[in-house]
Amino acid sequence: MDTPEVELNPRMDINDVYAFPGSSASRIALVVTTSSPIAGATASFDPNLLYQIKVDNTGDAVEDLVFQVTFDGGEGGNQRYTVRGPVAPPMTGTRTMLATAGTVVTGRVGTTSGSVTGIQTFAGLKADPFVIDLEQFFNIIPDRRPSTGPLAVQVGPPAGSFRMPGVDFLRPFNTLAIAIELPKSALQSSGAADARFGVWSTISR
Amino acid sequence: MRSTLLGRTLVAALAVSALSACSDDDNGGTSPNVVRTYNQIERLGNPLVSEVFFMKRDHGLHNSTAPATDIANGFPDKIRAFTNSFNRGPTIANTLASVLVPDVLLVFPNRAGSTAGWLSWALADGYGGRRLQDDVVDAGLGAIFGRVVDPAATVLTGLTSDNVSTSTRTYQTTFPYLENAR
Repeated sequence: MDTPEVELNPRMDINDVYAFPGSSASRIALVVTTSSPIAGATASFDPNLLYQIKVDNTGDAVEDLVFQVTFDGGEGGNQRYTVRGPVAPPMTGTRTMLATAGTVVTGRVGTTSGSVTGIQTFAGLKADPFVIDLEQFFNIIPDRRPSTGPLAVQVGPPAGSFRMPGVDFLRPFNTLAIAIELPKSALQSSGAADARFGVWSTISR
Repeated sequence: MRSTLLGRTLVAALAVSALSACSDDDNGGTSPNVVRTYNQIERLGNPLVSEVFFMKRDHGLHNSTAPATDIANGFPDKIRAFTNSFNRGPTIANTLASVLVPDVLLVFPNRAGSTAGWLSWALADGYGGRRLQDDVVDAGLGAIFGRVVDPAATVLTGLTSDNVSTSTRTYQTTFPYLENAR
């Protein structure tokens, strides 16, 4: 469900973005999943890519804070990650550079790092949390079918409805995930009852 | 003339200095390459926006642009075009376009955490965001093909759920909350 280049390079693919209350009411967890369904047991993050989580807390759809996640050239559990942020981005929009200020947390892929009261980080292989009958979805809307991989070929007849029971297509698959938890106050521009912020994720090279 | 010559001399000196700096980095520097410029090739905010509402030919536009230009790039019309192709009417089309564009996952962090869930900020003045256990496919299908958004809409039976549930998963209760790899 992506551009042909991303389909051919699944490590460039963001599967899903999540934002939900963390271990206490004052904390928030941000999770990004990538690379499903090709993430095997020894999968590694691409050391040439910059993975970012962006936060707009002023309502203009422009990032005010970013987390920048990079990886070294190690493989599997020998790979190390660096999480920069939250920090004001050196550039906003579709081009950027690595931040030279702000908090930096490093860790080994597959492990948790940081502090349970400050910024806690994880990057590594986990089960894909997403649930969808993807095969039938493509039978209903064939335009979205990927151009490569097993789902590029239509499996069933064109369909006008979902099947009963559906097939939990992604259940066997893993994802390369990035998770960050921190005090929500670090992302807010205001403590007002209706304060809000927008979250999205990008991959750059 | 003198000032021009001075300027050229300064430019030449700076160029030599810059080359020296590059050379130093190339000779074993271990610090991150902080001057590298990165270009965006992929993005995702809300689930389903690009994957469901956008024709495949538009996925590149979504991936190569930023939320700040989503309205100017016609994203609301792309969402309306999808719902209109199923004759879902203007209430569903306009509501979905307004809550999903700009394509950012909205969080109201000072509302009760118990109200967290995808689009709960719009549906029930909730926390919003997105939880691992949110069945966003059924939520999206219900909004498009059911009566979640428009109580008067015709229900397109067979399209309001994909008939798989997140209840079969066991997400963890502690950080990083995801299930262990299979």
